[in-house]
Amino acid sequence: MIVQAKTDPAPGQAASTTVVECQGLTKVFGGLLVARDKKVCALREVSLSVHQGQIVGLIGPNGAGKSTLLNLIAGLIVPTEGRATVCGHRARSVAARRNLGFMPEHPVFPGAYTARAVLRYHGALLGLSSQVIAHQMDKSIERLQMQEFIDRAASDFSQGMKQRLALATAMMSDPQLLLLDEPSNGLDPVGIVQLRDLLKHLRDTGASIVISSHRLGELEKLTSDYLFMHRGQIVNIGDRVAASKAGQLRVELVSGAEDLARRVLPAPKVLSVTDKELVIAVSDPEEVPDLVCDLAKAGARIMSVLLQRENIEDVFLRLCNEGT
Amino acid sequence: MRAYELIKETFLRRTFIWIAHLSWLALYGLFWWLFLPDAEQFGGFLFLFSGFFLPLALSAGIFGDDIASGRICILVTKPFWSGQLYIYRFLGLSLQGALHIALTGVLAFALQAFMRKGSVEGLGMWLVASWLLFNTCAALSTSLSVVVGRSFNSLLLLVVIVTGWFVTNLLMGFLNAETMTGALTNFIRYACPPFELLRKFAGGEYEKFSLTVGRFSVTKSLACVVHCLMLTTAYGIAGIVILCRREFSRVRD
Repeated sequence: MIVQAKTDPAPGQAASTTVVECQGLTKVFGGLLVARDKKVCALREVSLSVHQGQIVGLIGPNGAGKSTLLNLIAGLIVPTEGRATVCGHRARSVAARRNLGFMPEHPVFPGAYTARAVLRYHGALLGLSSQVIAHQMDKSIERLQMQEFIDRAASDFSQGMKQRLALATAMMSDPQLLLLDEPSNGLDPVGIVQLRDLLKHLRDTGASIVISSHRLGELEKLTSDYLFMHRGQIVNIGDRVAASKAGQLRVELVSGAEDLARRVLPAPKVLSVTDKELVIAVSDPEEVPDLVCDLAKAGARIMSVLLQRENIEDVFLRLCNEGT
Repeated sequence: MRAYELIKETFLRRTFIWIAHLSWLALYGLFWWLFLPDAEQFGGFLFLFSGFFLPLALSAGIFGDDIASGRICILVTKPFWSGQLYIYRFLGLSLQGALHIALTGVLAFALQAFMRKGSVEGLGMWLVASWLLFNTCAALSTSLSVVVGRSFNSLLLLVVIVTGWFVTNLLMGFLNAETMTGALTNFIRYACPPFELLRKFAGGEYEKFSLTVGRFSVTKSLACVVHCLMLTTAYGIAGIVILCRREFSRVRD
């Protein structure tokens, strides 16, 4: 199933502008000399749009096409078919690059440069004046708590320090779109909280952020929209509401749960059953009273009922299982 | 600002670069100190080492390193034409070459003045020719580094040029009477790095032609310089086109 992902703008931003627009993006890796059966289709007819002030989380198992999608939007690779635009400009064009900040999964900095020199270097590459660079540098140092290591060689940095510096370089020009590939890699818990607060602040100031991450718990605290990718396609567009509505109803009985499940419930609803416990899938909490009532009417002697709602991690695992 | 930062970064790119510079300078010093040859040998040695081998070492993997480390992903997402990246990287290399060759000249003159043997007459022309050849070879190697990973580009270039030179000489020996030889010679002379023409230019072999200034024919010498610059530009344009069209990630996560 191919889902045309048109993620909704954040509440109160209904009339906001579209920052990223992808239409039918397909990417096949393998050149002219590569045999057709050896070519890899990393992305298949993906369509999505990201609005101003929106944070979108890209989730999916390894090899799902998340980084390929980010790279296509960043203009690092060109689509085999389809089209991607950033702020109305074709991805890869200079005008599109002017509006985006990109943070790769493994940031690398020039040779023996200090963090300060790295920031100055990136500011210069962005075409900023010395005064603006100095101002942005001060802002980044403060926001990302880099005071302690700003004058140390970036090559000696820990992964967490590198991530902070990479994020600072991506934010140097206050871009409208931030593309972040695994931004919390290597960050300590304090750093993760700071990153979360910073990204929320950026969203509030109107920046759009697309994050590819495997840290689903962190993503859940940060984003309002998810795109679940699998085998190069967007197979589900989840949001926090949908994720929190679905869940499992765990019913503890005196006995006879297996017989009861067979008589009362449709097979797909029953997730697991033993003599004394019944686990039922629910898509909405409002189903629970009716379910409990049906079970009681069928003669069930219920000892306890517990509703466990799905978090984004459960959704991810469920979708992975469905996908495979 | 952007140009300055990119040229500076090219200059300070790797520690290996400074080792290459110092080793080369020590090599010239040792050779000239031991042999104190005449200007032709002085220049020929410099021409081969700083004009051909040095650019191969300095431009080894200049983009290959960026691509392999992933730094290129940052560079090409910045809001400027990717061709600028090539041009500034190349200018950084050319500046390094100019500095190296200038230091070599100072070293040669100092040694000659100190030892009072040998000759440095016309060494200035050899220095210019070396720098021109440096630029052409650097452009070729830099363009190759956009396609070939790491430092293999220089090795590849070295093997291709040396093998090509031997094969061509053999062919010419066997096919001297054939008309093909002329076309092949012209192709090598005008499309490949201009070793022969620059060597003649630096050695003052154009003095027999009219419009001479001192030992040199102005028109022939100018033509030689223009030809060399055109080749550098052509190799550079090829590199820029490839760089602008290239994709920089094959990650499928």
